[in-house]
Amino acid sequence: MDQSPVSLAACECLTALGDTAQTQGALERGQGALELRPFGGAEGGDLVPLALIPGRPLDESSPPSWLPAVRTLMGRCPAGPWGGPRHPVFVTSSNFGVGGLFAFRRGGGREHVEFGSPEACVRLVRGELGWGPNVTTISHACVSSNLGLVLAGRHLAMGLADSALVFTFDFLSPFVAGGFYALKILNAGLPAPYRAQETGSIGLGDGAAFAVLERGEGEWRIEAQTLYNEMHHFTAFPADGSGFAACIEPLARLARGRRVWIKGHGTGTLDAGRLEAEAFARALPESPLVGWKGGLGHTLGSNGLVELAIAREAMRRGRIPGTVGTSAPTFAPNVAVGSLDGRAYDAVICASNAFGGAHAAVLLAHA
Amino acid sequence: MLEGYLTQVATESALAEEPAAVSARLRSVFSAGAGRRATVLGLLIGKVLEDRERWPTDAIVYASRFGETRALSAFLDTFPHPSPTLFQTSVHPSAVQQVMIERRRPVPEYFPLAGGPDLAARALVTAFACPAEAVILCGGDERGSWMAEAGVASDQGFAFAALLRRSAGPAPLARLRLTPAEGPAAGGLAFPDWFALLHGRRAFGGPVSPDWRLELEWLRPAGP
Repeated sequence: MDQSPVSLAACECLTALGDTAQTQGALERGQGALELRPFGGAEGGDLVPLALIPGRPLDESSPPSWLPAVRTLMGRCPAGPWGGPRHPVFVTSSNFGVGGLFAFRRGGGREHVEFGSPEACVRLVRGELGWGPNVTTISHACVSSNLGLVLAGRHLAMGLADSALVFTFDFLSPFVAGGFYALKILNAGLPAPYRAQETGSIGLGDGAAFAVLERGEGEWRIEAQTLYNEMHHFTAFPADGSGFAACIEPLARLARGRRVWIKGHGTGTLDAGRLEAEAFARALPESPLVGWKGGLGHTLGSNGLVELAIAREAMRRGRIPGTVGTSAPTFAPNVAVGSLDGRAYDAVICASNAFGGAHAAVLLAHA
Repeated sequence: MLEGYLTQVATESALAEEPAAVSARLRSVFSAGAGRRATVLGLLIGKVLEDRERWPTDAIVYASRFGETRALSAFLDTFPHPSPTLFQTSVHPSAVQQVMIERRRPVPEYFPLAGGPDLAARALVTAFACPAEAVILCGGDERGSWMAEAGVASDQGFAFAALLRRSAGPAPLARLRLTPAEGPAAGGLAFPDWFALLHGRRAFGGPVSPDWRLELEWLRPAGP
């Protein structure tokens, strides 16, 4: 467990519901952005729930259709010598520009390939945002942005940085929609995270976010972070939930006796949702659990930071959105379907999971 | 300054070898079923991490410029009926996951890095940032198909694994020192060149990125 406190000096996101405040507000009202669309984009296919930034098609263009959204988001990032010697940037994604490769392979022009590798895609972003060369690129499926936060914190703790920027982006394409459709968890159903029902369903969503981390105490403090990789199966967890417990328990020890709420991963799949809800109910039975992917869709490698930004905004406003898209019965009694009064809490645990049984969690507290 | 020791090093060179030949040669690294499903990069990583008892898995830092490009391109060609297996294996960090899932070896910390002009330097700093006593630093690339011709996949196959420790222990293979560059440094160390240093047990002293300088000194010949 990483327990050198770092200050979360800034943290904002962009989703299909808008900027951080707009997203938090919409979720609090129980609103979502998922719409049924063909998983193959212009090529058609079965309808699946996707949440795209307004006006952005699922099919990729060149230059990428998501660049304006990145510019808008990063316009709110505090100015700094990002990418300079003591101001590293950690870029995370699970998709990068893979939508361009799909477009090329399905008959598009050569220009679609230009940003198809992570390296070329990050070079494009770096040029757009004017960063220096001190950039580390991380890709670990749906815990990617969590790893960026951990590494940024470690650079600060080791004295290698004065401040650090974590930037994450994942924009949908037929590539990733087709992949989750093939796994049969992206289907015509809308996600109902943590609901005990017959069939599980997820939705996918566009998402990007950034965080500025600084050493020491601040108004918002990342008190601890944990990681764990089960390496049990690519898409299944051990039935005893041991991987969830391994990641959660160190943070739960810090959280016991405090006023803590939990933002879970909660994609809408059944086994993972049940294991996660039960693990949190065992570890922190007094803490309510919410999940937001029923409204946002799963923003993939970026979900950890996107939802951390929303969690921070929820605590700032004193209103915590409930588990959008879900109704009783739920997998555990601590699942909160409706919104919560944020004034009753001082800290939040935000958790994410990924392929391979990867787990990550962060404890964020308000000073 | 960041200083440590490499106490184990393994490399696998398949620079110009046809991917099909690599698969046939290395398939036995995995069990029969897993070997058939494994990617070329998964097999290369499996080979350098053979002798599993020698590689503690408290922390793994994995570096690849391009990742699973053959699975990725094959997945693209399965549309409009996308393959779930190819989708899973096309994700960037799957090479190490293929190996560790087959061995059922939990890994508390796994940091997969993806590309960048200073990938070797970033991976080294990431490894030094892991608190574990021993950190596996591994990586590589596989030869791509049409994606290599388009510049979004490697034209070479190779893999490496090194065990980085803070203390020398009884028989260190090499000593590593990373020092911040004094002012912006010209040049750097390309990812295949980092592999070549390990593969050829060659010493190095110079900039590996605009902000870091590496000293790599071999202390004894490679051995078991």
